[in-house]
Amino acid sequence: MTVSTDTQFVHLAWQQNEKELAAVRYQMGADPTGKVSRMFGVYDDATGLDLRGTFIINPEGKVLGMEMNYYNLGRNIDELMRKFKANMYLARKTNEACPSKWKDEGDKTLAPSAKMVGKVHEALQG
Amino acid sequence: MCETTPLKLGQVVPNFELDTYDPKTGDFGKFSLAKQLEKKRWTILFFYPADFTFV
Repeated sequence: MTVSTDTQFVHLAWQQNEKELAAVRYQMGADPTGKVSRMFGVYDDATGLDLRGTFIINPEGKVLGMEMNYYNLGRNIDELMRKFKANMYLARKTNEACPSKWKDEGDKTLAPSAKMVGKVHEALQG
Repeated sequence: MCETTPLKLGQVVPNFELDTYDPKTGDFGKFSLAKQLEKKRWTILFFYPADFTFV
């Protein structure tokens, strides 16, 4: 879901007016007091607005991913989805790790062990 | 104003609720983290500065 310090009424007006948002199917959260935004450290007291923060929370409620960008830099959805998929994969494969180039299931993962110390290059090739 | 320490990576998020607009139903609603976790769902929170600006 998305969250800003706008109210749900403004979310409605924006979603119904902006053609770029016509296909939106996610809930748009309203945090006008900034309470939830402060909890995640994205609330900017100077402006009353939220910074561009993204958080991945697993079904146990644990924060597994955070990313924060300043006002003038948009986020890359492909990278967010890569991290989201990787987190879901790793929840099932708890002894594996997804390297930076991991994109989707079937891609090379690493299973950290004593044998791999100093041999990550070889492990990535293998 | 009370200062809260923001969450860190790996911490469990305390429950929270938010009023929402849901474009799927065209209606207002509520998001509850507790309900989301009851359903064993993953959650992505995507904060942005303001409606009617680029996101």
